[in-house]
Amino acid sequence: MTVTMSSESSPVNLQTPPATPPATEPRAAQGLFKRNPPIAGEAEAIEAAKAGDPEAFSKLYALHKRRVYTLCLRMLGNVSEAEDMTQEAFLHLFRKIGSFRGESAFSTWLHRLTVNLVLMQLRKKGLQLVSLEETINPSEDDAPKRDFGSRDPHLTGSVDRVTLERAVASLPPGYRMVFVLHDVEGYEHNEIATMLECSTGNSKSQLHKARLKLRELLRESGQSLQPAVLKEAVR
Amino acid sequence: MKNSQQLESTMSCAEFQEQLPELFASGNGGVPSDPNLQAHLDTCENCSALVRDLQYIADQARMLLEPAQDEPSDDVWSNIQNKLKSEQAEGGFPSSPPLPS
Repeated sequence: MTVTMSSESSPVNLQTPPATPPATEPRAAQGLFKRNPPIAGEAEAIEAAKAGDPEAFSKLYALHKRRVYTLCLRMLGNVSEAEDMTQEAFLHLFRKIGSFRGESAFSTWLHRLTVNLVLMQLRKKGLQLVSLEETINPSEDDAPKRDFGSRDPHLTGSVDRVTLERAVASLPPGYRMVFVLHDVEGYEHNEIATMLECSTGNSKSQLHKARLKLRELLRESGQSLQPAVLKEAVR
Repeated sequence: MKNSQQLESTMSCAEFQEQLPELFASGNGGVPSDPNLQAHLDTCENCSALVRDLQYIADQARMLLEPAQDEPSDDVWSNIQNKLKSEQAEGGFPSSPPLPS
């Protein structure tokens, strides 16, 4: 199944993200661009890589391997598969780098390529992304509990990165995917809906359930939010 | 104030929480523009705590954008090199790059 992100053809039936964002490029891409400022030496490495400079490929790999790998790991939840996808992402990058024209952030382009690859991989494994509700919704046991009238409703210290990372890793796959794409990577619901072939409402619903489940997991692990942070968050 | 109390009495926590996916998707940081929702939020400690927590979680998620210290094993780069080499040898890539050293 082809992920419909671009009209460009590809020998591996994976369509490369557009080097030029469409006119309607959503806020997420702009946000990602802001969150992905050019890296020193990156532009030169890209141009050199286009010309076939082996050192440039090595440099691009060194610059982006962690981020690509982290993304794969979060989406797949498995080290071996994450390494395989990292490998595929960079192979695809090196094959297609000639089509990158530098009109969007390189890392944004690379991330979209990676996300497409991961989604294709998940489909190959039989994960039907077409119907989120039926296929990647967690079981009742995994679903977040409704929170009406809880006596101790809020998280009570600060949530550090490691704790949050663990909680995200323990989310059911469908929740984790939407949470990572939206809240971590900055994709908009309409983009996620396109990628996962679901409705935007479905994406919103999945994200909300993911956050509810995270709250539950963090509360269970004894995490709390500092009052000052709470006040800041609600402002 | 009276109006706010009347509004609060018309919305249950369940009804309020049903609106949360759209409320957060609206991009206002969990602050409702609908006076009915705001009235409930102003008067319900449980729901206001829930909104604060969910917004906090969304905010904290951004710190995960920066990659962790984990990185792929050296085998990944070796495999990339080998794959490129074999694909070049097969002529599968008209524009395939020279093999990175």
